[in-house]
Amino acid sequence: MTRIRSFVRIAAVALLALAISIPMFAARGSANFTKFVAIGDSYGAGYEAGSLNERHQVYSWPAIIAKQAGLTICPATAAATDNCFAVPLISYPGLPGGELVYNGISVVQVPGSGAPLMSGFGRPFNNLSVPGYTVGAVLTIKGTEPIAGLGLPILRGLGTEVDQAIAQQPTFIAIWIGGNDFLGAVSQGDPTKLTSKDAFTAAYNSMLDKLVAGAPNAGMVVGTLPQTFAGPPLTSRLPSVIFDSSFRPVQFPAPVNGTVPFFYVPAGTTTPAAVPAGSIVLLSALSRIQQGFGIPPTLKTTPPFSLLPHTGEPLTDAEIITPAEQAAFAQGISDYNAAIVASASAHSVPVADIKGLFDRFATGVSYGGVTLTNTFVSGGLFSNDGVHLTDIGYALFANEYIKAINAAYGSEVPVASIAQFFENNGANFGTGASVILTPAAASAMTSIFQETVPAEPAKKLRAAHH
Amino acid sequence: MRPSSRLLLLISATLLIVSGASYGSGFSIFEQGAKATAMGGAFAATADDPSAIFYNVAGIAQQRKMAVMFGGTGINFSNQFTGDPNDPLTSGATGEYRAHTFIPPNAYFIMPVGSNLTFGLGVMTPFGLRTDWREPWVGRFVSRDANVKVVSVEPAVAWQTSDGRLALGFGAEYRRSHISLNRNNAAFNPFTGRIIDTANAYLTSDWDTNWGWNVGILYKMNPQWRVGASYRTDMTIDYEGSAHFTQIPTGIAPFDAVIKSQLPPDQGITTSVNFPATLIAGVATSAFGHNWDIEADVTHTTWSRFKSLDVNFNTTTALSFTRPQNWEDTYSYRLGANKKVTDDWDVRFGVVYDENPQPTQGVGPLLPDSDREGAAFGVGYRHGAWSIDATEFVLHFKTRSTNGISSDNFNGTYKTNANLISFNIGYRF
Repeated sequence: MTRIRSFVRIAAVALLALAISIPMFAARGSANFTKFVAIGDSYGAGYEAGSLNERHQVYSWPAIIAKQAGLTICPATAAATDNCFAVPLISYPGLPGGELVYNGISVVQVPGSGAPLMSGFGRPFNNLSVPGYTVGAVLTIKGTEPIAGLGLPILRGLGTEVDQAIAQQPTFIAIWIGGNDFLGAVSQGDPTKLTSKDAFTAAYNSMLDKLVAGAPNAGMVVGTLPQTFAGPPLTSRLPSVIFDSSFRPVQFPAPVNGTVPFFYVPAGTTTPAAVPAGSIVLLSALSRIQQGFGIPPTLKTTPPFSLLPHTGEPLTDAEIITPAEQAAFAQGISDYNAAIVASASAHSVPVADIKGLFDRFATGVSYGGVTLTNTFVSGGLFSNDGVHLTDIGYALFANEYIKAINAAYGSEVPVASIAQFFENNGANFGTGASVILTPAAASAMTSIFQETVPAEPAKKLRAAHH
Repeated sequence: MRPSSRLLLLISATLLIVSGASYGSGFSIFEQGAKATAMGGAFAATADDPSAIFYNVAGIAQQRKMAVMFGGTGINFSNQFTGDPNDPLTSGATGEYRAHTFIPPNAYFIMPVGSNLTFGLGVMTPFGLRTDWREPWVGRFVSRDANVKVVSVEPAVAWQTSDGRLALGFGAEYRRSHISLNRNNAAFNPFTGRIIDTANAYLTSDWDTNWGWNVGILYKMNPQWRVGASYRTDMTIDYEGSAHFTQIPTGIAPFDAVIKSQLPPDQGITTSVNFPATLIAGVATSAFGHNWDIEADVTHTTWSRFKSLDVNFNTTTALSFTRPQNWEDTYSYRLGANKKVTDDWDVRFGVVYDENPQPTQGVGPLLPDSDREGAAFGVGYRHGAWSIDATEFVLHFKTRSTNGISSDNFNGTYKTNANLISFNIGYRF
């Protein structure tokens, strides 16, 4: 009996020792959101459907984390001394132009543009994310430069994103940056425009070095980058059907039999060639294909291609992402992610699995009977520019950050519920969201915009990116 | 009115008012008589009123007077769903059932013939389920309202030895059942960037039937000790029914047009449910004296037959679905006591522990089952040929969490309590 008891005691001590000696990931700082700041790009800013505006800024991933952590979003009239999460609100329909909305036929831009509502706000914004910014940009651009873009109303010359974050003596810093180091290259179909692996790694390390030195007690979290970003909805499979002017699909008649041998002008040549098998096109190319671009001259007399004005004219190299280019993008982003994980580890910063999130987005996600996909316009995850997320998509993005924070810091921040985006959700989440576009407004816009062209994410992105 | 026509009236009334709610594990209902319920359902070795037709059919052999008994169990409950703070849909959400009082009814008639045989006829509701969520319910895209109704008619016969020590019984159960499922469909509304209810899907079956049987044995070892056992067969009911799809207009004409074009036509459906077999074994004694009668029972229910809920759509076959259930066999443990206080009055106590058959993955709005413990108190009153039994039964369901592994990606915690009041009136001719 005594022997058994002492054995039990020894075993218990041994188990305890084992438990204590298991190395735990010691994240720096703590999950204290008293002074919460965010460093990021268009995703962090809440840029949606080609526009940054107050309707969606409050659903940026940092704003959603702030709300879930118990903070309130500052109203445009807030004073600098108010204890709230300040975001650089811009009036509807937004900057650099109105948002892209669906009118029942196609995606059109809301006319007009918005204006900054808080340019005189008396302290740096908590959400410092600026659309278009790369890892390099968050360290260098202060918001006065000609290339500052939306940094003008967001950074206001008060310093770089990193400087302004440190200046606020933050208790917690959430960071997601790096998307623009490849997105510009993807949207131009040109892997040579990727930020180099070495430059990315150096910039990421210097960003975390600076933040750790400037806010040594702050909790921090970063995130990986989506490696599926050469996929829908930014890009599309080459269509096997073509659309009429009302976007109704028209089946190819014989002898085409459902597939078209698209052609384009490869880079560095003037001789058109067949698009390599396995290529994808940028979403922005679809509207040109609908006008006949990329359809070879041999089909010029074959209906319905004969009816299209540009049949026989090649697509450009920038519109085509060949399998070789897809591989180059995948490798580039994979290198960035390795750099992010290594840098985060070296700085004791947890990493949110945004790559994994986008992998799931690629196949669709389903929660309690609500299914969301990456389908353009109707899928619910990506906004009408094909690049940025919807409010719902940003909530799921924020949840990955919350999960990483809770796992690393033992905190219990509840994730954001997509039920807040149910239009008739009842008591739990208020009485439902406001309708962004009334049917009357949609129909009015249809008459304004006769051209039925889908979003052009590449152009939008470049506009934001400068 | 002759007794038999009175009985027919009673049976038809019972068939009309039947309404299900799940109070045994899974979707079984073990409360088919007020006295048995007061004893925690430990009744297989006692079986001394006409509800023996349900608990142990052999027990009607020892009842040597023609008798009729009918009643029901009024069931009220409170429940609370709390969303999982780590679930991207349910975080921060709550929910509860719509308030209902369910009254699964029962009615029994027994008629001894000679000195050894007793014939019987019972009507009861051995299964049933209702999970009707109060709107607006965040889980409405999984299930708004599920309703399983079951009513059984059971002719029975039992025989006992002349010394009354051994009894054997047999019953043939004719089971009728009806199922309905109701949920909403959601879609992303590209005009508003929000998620909206676009349609309601209501699946309802006909009343479909099958036959099963049950047997029982009751053995009195000596004047103080007795044992009983009964077995009720499993059964599969194949259902035919229809699916109704109703569009929920959003008020945005082009969107509604798309939804309308995608709405499946109303159409026939088929499904089937594998009901479990139940084996009950009990031992009872009066050895404690002072007019106490104590019984302990164990029941075994073969819920592992309920592997999945499959619904086949006749026209739009792509809608056909299989919801894996993968239930497990369960045991329940029941202990009851009956004290004859006076010639007219009995008091009764019972406790029960009932395991649930449902794996964590399957816990959801359709049926959030959990282990439950119950305590009952009842009284019986006899006056001449009349008897009245009344029971208060409190059932506490253990808090059940999906632990983040809900197969519907709908995680949360379900808390349920039920209050049951059983009432029976009997008459011995």
